[in-house]
Amino acid sequence: MTYFHEAALVDSVDDIQFKIYSSTHPKGFIIAKPKYVPTDLLDLVGLKKRFLFSKCMYRFNLFNDKEIVEKNLGAIKKKFPYYIYECNKHKNWFLGVPENKVKKFYDTKKGLQELLKVPVEDLDPYLKATRKMIGILGEAGISTGNLGISHSTLLGNYTPGKSDIDILIFGIDNGWKAIKHLEKCKNPSLKWKSREKWARYYKDRVVSKVYTEKEYVANMARKKDDGFIEGNVFSLFCIEDEKESRYDWSAEHEPLGTVKIRAKVKDAYYSVVRPGFYELENSRILEGHKEVPIKRVVTWARPFSLQAKENEDIEACGLLEKVKSEDGEFYQVVIGYFDAYTTDRGEKEYLKALIG
Amino acid sequence: MHFYESSIITTKDGLHCQVYGNQHPDGRILIKPKYIPTDRISSDSLPYRFISGRKMNRLNLWIDQDKLKQYIDDFTKAYPDYVFRSPLYDKSPLFFVVPKEKIERAYSPAEGLYDLMSIPEKDLDVHLKTVVGLVKFLLQSSLELTDLGITYSTLMGHYSPYRSDINIVVYGKDKFWKLMGFMEKNNHPDLRWKTYEEWEAFYKKRNRHIVHKKENYIENMHRKRSEGFFRNTLFVIFAVEKEDEAWFKWGKEKYKRIGIAKFRGIVKDNKSSVVRPGCYIISDSKFIGGDEICKNLQISRVVFYSRDYCMLAYPDEEIEASGVVEEVTQEDGKKYYRVVIGYFGSYLNQRRDNEYIKLVDD
Repeated sequence: MTYFHEAALVDSVDDIQFKIYSSTHPKGFIIAKPKYVPTDLLDLVGLKKRFLFSKCMYRFNLFNDKEIVEKNLGAIKKKFPYYIYECNKHKNWFLGVPENKVKKFYDTKKGLQELLKVPVEDLDPYLKATRKMIGILGEAGISTGNLGISHSTLLGNYTPGKSDIDILIFGIDNGWKAIKHLEKCKNPSLKWKSREKWARYYKDRVVSKVYTEKEYVANMARKKDDGFIEGNVFSLFCIEDEKESRYDWSAEHEPLGTVKIRAKVKDAYYSVVRPGFYELENSRILEGHKEVPIKRVVTWARPFSLQAKENEDIEACGLLEKVKSEDGEFYQVVIGYFDAYTTDRGEKEYLKALIG
Repeated sequence: MHFYESSIITTKDGLHCQVYGNQHPDGRILIKPKYIPTDRISSDSLPYRFISGRKMNRLNLWIDQDKLKQYIDDFTKAYPDYVFRSPLYDKSPLFFVVPKEKIERAYSPAEGLYDLMSIPEKDLDVHLKTVVGLVKFLLQSSLELTDLGITYSTLMGHYSPYRSDINIVVYGKDKFWKLMGFMEKNNHPDLRWKTYEEWEAFYKKRNRHIVHKKENYIENMHRKRSEGFFRNTLFVIFAVEKEDEAWFKWGKEKYKRIGIAKFRGIVKDNKSSVVRPGCYIISDSKFIGGDEICKNLQISRVVFYSRDYCMLAYPDEEIEASGVVEEVTQEDGKKYYRVVIGYFGSYLNQRRDNEYIKLVDD
């Protein structure tokens, strides 16, 4: 049975390409975001167009004005209602693909194994850089069997020097091994985004209007899951192994409104995956709800991965939920649900370590 | 659905195939395998590419002949459905085909270009901007967008900016010749033609030095207006026949192999020399050498499968052709003789270096 893991791609029967957003899914439905939508399928607005797979495609983007996102999602919902999952347990909706609408799954692990078989001299500079990055991750003790490639690196529609090299690391422990190794790695092929580059990235993909550029840069500049390898941007995606996948789709979520909190991070182990979370202690609600203890901050948005370390104080704004699960009842704050991109909450959501 | 030459087909077995003609046998499409997955067969003598998430061999018919022969033997065993021997021939040459049920996706050059031209320029990368710029220039001729297409890596999306060629398809031989007339008379600041040196580099590849006098070869190629550089990116313009323009219909003729020979003749008509398979209609043929059985035959057509021979010769010019001599029986029983250059099988033996079409130098 196919493991539909986070950061893999699937094509739907309607030729929409989706990027999977989670490694655990409700029964029969894969949580995913449309990535490329053929322009002859839908009339969408405010999106860049790309020429891919011999077709004109919209590059679907949630980081847009909420009115635009709302309009585009409305168009999808009207023509393809089956790409929206109304979740009673969350009292919310998710984007994705019903399993029976999947036409093709792009195997990220198999793709890497194929790439590794190609003699280096037959590779272009972009793929040579990919191989070099795989080698660096090997130095961290991660076997190639626990690695994959995705997106344009896998499909071959990359532009050398412009496209990201997207590498997947399977297993949370392996993800941390990679991060720790890169924190001290002195390989001359490896460069990190300067503070200026992070500032530009922030401008291009504004994640929260209440999160200043300065704060963003301070938080991001220490991350080691994005950088440059031989001049190409690389991004590392840590993926839970199938046995590690732990999101509980049977839990009941009761949305209680937008809150702003402060807390101390007790455990950041799962902050390396999507959806990920930070386990908290000493939480305080600053705005939006009466005081309740917040057990964790859950992030569905990649920009908030690896945002804070253990024992650091954080500040976050997101949707407060009361969760009833097999583990009991608790409160959590969630950042980056799909609905956030169509509501005022999206502009307010953030998570920052109180550092610098 | 009609499968035009130079379209791309991906198959359920993961092959990327280039459609190799405009006429096809029932249930099959004539192709050349372009990229072949390496899970069933592979050859270190062929270049490797990482395409569509797979390690592929890129088929090159000009590698060491023993290695090529071995690879084609392996291919025949690994992909028997992709090899075809036609009952229209008494001894069929080797054809590669895609059985229609094996098609995963057919990529249309026309639809691809139509989509590309609809994209705002700001959303295009440098390669695609160059393609669009070239197409806009071509549209200054009497051609319309629906007369054009793009193919190969630009269509498939695995091009490398500044490195990959731009391959333009023109639908219709008449349209293509009109475009060539336009290209001869018009210029563009971003357009330049291949220099003598660049044609010389091309000449040195593909064993052309064996049969052609270099200066003449380069002179002949230099007059072509189907290849050049636009914003320093190599472009090649191909003609593909419309269905009603086909110079032969698959199934309407039968072929008998007579022998191997070399003939000369005067080009009467080169209209179909712009397509693949291409054809020169000739007159006054003269046997120059080869199998004696061919000695007294009058050749009326020279047929080729390699695009290198497109637009090589013009009416009233004399050409020399070396290849397989075939007797062709038409539907009404009438017969004629032709010389064929470039069947796949010829790359597997000494004919690879001995088959050619050239303008007569003297």
